[in-house]
Amino acid sequence: MYGYQNKVLRINLTDESATVEPLRMDFAEKYVGSKGLAIRYLYEELVPGIDPLSADNKLLFTTGPLTGTPVPCSGKLSIAAKSPATGTINDCSIGGHAALKIKYAGYDMIIFEGKLQKPGYVVITDEQVEFIDGAEVWGIGSHDAETFLSDKHGREYVVLSIGPAGENLVPLSCINSDYYRQAGRGGIGAVMGSKNMKAVLIKGTGGVKVPDIVNTTNRILDILHEDTLQEDNTFVFDLGTTAFLEACNDGGILPVNNFSDTTDEEWTQYNGDVLMEYRDGKRGCGSCGLGCGNFLKINDAVCEGPEYESISVAGPNAGIRDPYHIVKFNEVCDNMGVDTISTGDTIIWAMEMTEKGIYDFGIRFGDAEKMLEYVELIARQEGIGIELSKGTKRLSEKYGGTDFAMQVKGLEYPQYEPRGSWGMSLAYAVSDRGACHMRAYAPNEEVFAASIDPYTAAGKGQMVYDLGVFNAIKFSLCICDFWGTISYEIMAEVLTLVTGRTWTEDEMPVIGERVLNIARAFNQREGFNRKDDTMPKRLAKDALKNGPAAGQKIPEEAFEDMLNQYYEVMGWDKNGMMPESLIATL
Amino acid sequence: MKRLKWGKEKCIGCQLCAQVCSAMKEGEYIPSRARLDIESYYDRGALKYEASYCILCGICAKNCPVEAITIDEYITVDDDKCIACGICAEKCPKHIIKIRDEAAKICDTCKGDPTCVKACPQNALTFA
Amino acid sequence: MTVTVALRGTLKKYFGENNPRVIHAPEGSTCEDVLAIAGLDWTNIKNFGFVSVNNKRVMITDVIHDGDILKAFSKVFGG
Repeated sequence: MYGYQNKVLRINLTDESATVEPLRMDFAEKYVGSKGLAIRYLYEELVPGIDPLSADNKLLFTTGPLTGTPVPCSGKLSIAAKSPATGTINDCSIGGHAALKIKYAGYDMIIFEGKLQKPGYVVITDEQVEFIDGAEVWGIGSHDAETFLSDKHGREYVVLSIGPAGENLVPLSCINSDYYRQAGRGGIGAVMGSKNMKAVLIKGTGGVKVPDIVNTTNRILDILHEDTLQEDNTFVFDLGTTAFLEACNDGGILPVNNFSDTTDEEWTQYNGDVLMEYRDGKRGCGSCGLGCGNFLKINDAVCEGPEYESISVAGPNAGIRDPYHIVKFNEVCDNMGVDTISTGDTIIWAMEMTEKGIYDFGIRFGDAEKMLEYVELIARQEGIGIELSKGTKRLSEKYGGTDFAMQVKGLEYPQYEPRGSWGMSLAYAVSDRGACHMRAYAPNEEVFAASIDPYTAAGKGQMVYDLGVFNAIKFSLCICDFWGTISYEIMAEVLTLVTGRTWTEDEMPVIGERVLNIARAFNQREGFNRKDDTMPKRLAKDALKNGPAAGQKIPEEAFEDMLNQYYEVMGWDKNGMMPESLIATL
Repeated sequence: MKRLKWGKEKCIGCQLCAQVCSAMKEGEYIPSRARLDIESYYDRGALKYEASYCILCGICAKNCPVEAITIDEYITVDDDKCIACGICAEKCPKHIIKIRDEAAKICDTCKGDPTCVKACPQNALTFA
Repeated sequence: MTVTVALRGTLKKYFGENNPRVIHAPEGSTCEDVLAIAGLDWTNIKNFGFVSVNNKRVMITDVIHDGDILKAFSKVFGG
């Protein structure tokens, strides 16, 4: 097929060697690329039961056939491994320009195996791979490292780096690129840190070949203008994800004070209109058409962002309304190399623990300065940060407060209150990597919907299935979430144009379902089943007091009913396990 | 005469321009060989831009020792006359001319219908 | 009765400069009815999201009252 480079770069960090092998085209035909392809490879190559922080784990950078072509919004890179936070499969999606550079360097995928003998970084220049001592950059912030390495090696290199958090194996740590883009969740930064790898630099001067390039390019540009650039997608250029604030607030799903309630009447203090007053510039990823990145400067807080997740977790969910603090929190998390969602959620859980007198973590709701300080303590493993870096699951098992430790499998809750969007409790429970909003984005279907009832279990199994299948294939092409109007028809058309193989519209959801299943198969092999598809007890015990969902809580029976529905649609048994016959088809 | 124009306020740094240019001229999506180079990048807490594209100043044509470069509505390089001496690349104020395969590669605005402009999703790049 | 209607997101274009607007509707009107009087057939708008009354989400078929503020939102993608 065209589009692909048909090459995998396999790097052995222990030996400091690198080999090139052909891409498994049998995998590519069934999983396409990016998310699906990465998980299939990990399913093949990882032995069940390994310690995610050991040299046995593998870190995969995976592109798709569309990467490096002008197909809009195709610039994201999958970074995947077994997760140190959850023990499940974890595939992250990072923007910027790394995906394109890898493709132009000549590779579909880079596999990092083993572990460097001492801290270092890897420089890839087309076919050449160098292993360089990292003493100069180990211990410094991710932003500082990126600046240093960019100066040293040249701006033509894309830099992916970890901060002190990843170096210190913190399960909340992320990988950064282009300063402000992250592979955020599941402790992916700790996997890189456990390999003693501070950064990866990639320069690629090659290209991507497609059939009939002139006509293909013209058709792609038609699709860009006719579909991608319609206003249903371009709203992200104006406001980015700050556009969600009012909708989530009115919708009754904006969480407040560690998910103890919803709705903040003062949301206009930190909304998009306020934040965009500080906008200094716009940015998009490679091959983007939409440009969601907002580069903000408020006093000494400098950041491309913040996204809705970060605004909510550092804002109303922490009892804070100061826009400076919200942007600063985002900046510090990025430089320290931690996920804003999991780190924010852990700190706000600690706030509630302190307020309730269950355990004094020394911080209460509204304490903005301490919140920033705690991010550094977590990343650097100092003071209370040593404990807090464990995340809400391990912390609540040790100190109590499990009812309001808002997490599934050890990955903390994104900022949508499920008592206002019942299907979201199911989406969080069955997501392949723990509580994630990017697998099935239920609020858009049941809250931002004129005539669908968000406060019922009915039909939510099918809803989460349909949404999950769609995103699974979309993220395997890979196309960015923000091209919201893309259809299975367009997916099949661009794949066909770029690869020269005929992909059909009907095939798209079949592949999507297969991707969901290969992820589940990986987890099942690691011992996960229904007992791990959970809902925090707060959602069943405490009714919301404010907003349109006031009075709502999700009864256990309703949650169990949604799980049953979902398992049935997926063809899994009542324990959420895949039959052998289904695994054999993968 | 129409020229390429670029404004940073709308540029998102997606580099679709370089991708489609290389598609039309090199038969591959290989932006390192495009006839324009527009990028945005972060440097020490600031968002910066670098935009190199042909502005039809004609300095290359004036300096070509073998008169291989002509400029009318757009620039044309006669590959048979070109001796790949590199003087045009040296003199180009936008540093956008590349010498490769024994010839100078210079933007010809796709003969008056530039593909890069068609590709630019935010109309940062225009032809007027 | 009098209701204020405000459009958000990509729905704003239906009102242009005149957003929000004051609409007069009969007692017992639903959100759907009020939008129709304002010129919007929500079933024909592909990206139509949801409505809120006085900053709280309601169903499109819920009844609205004198003095209420009705907001209509488009769908969003992402997170």
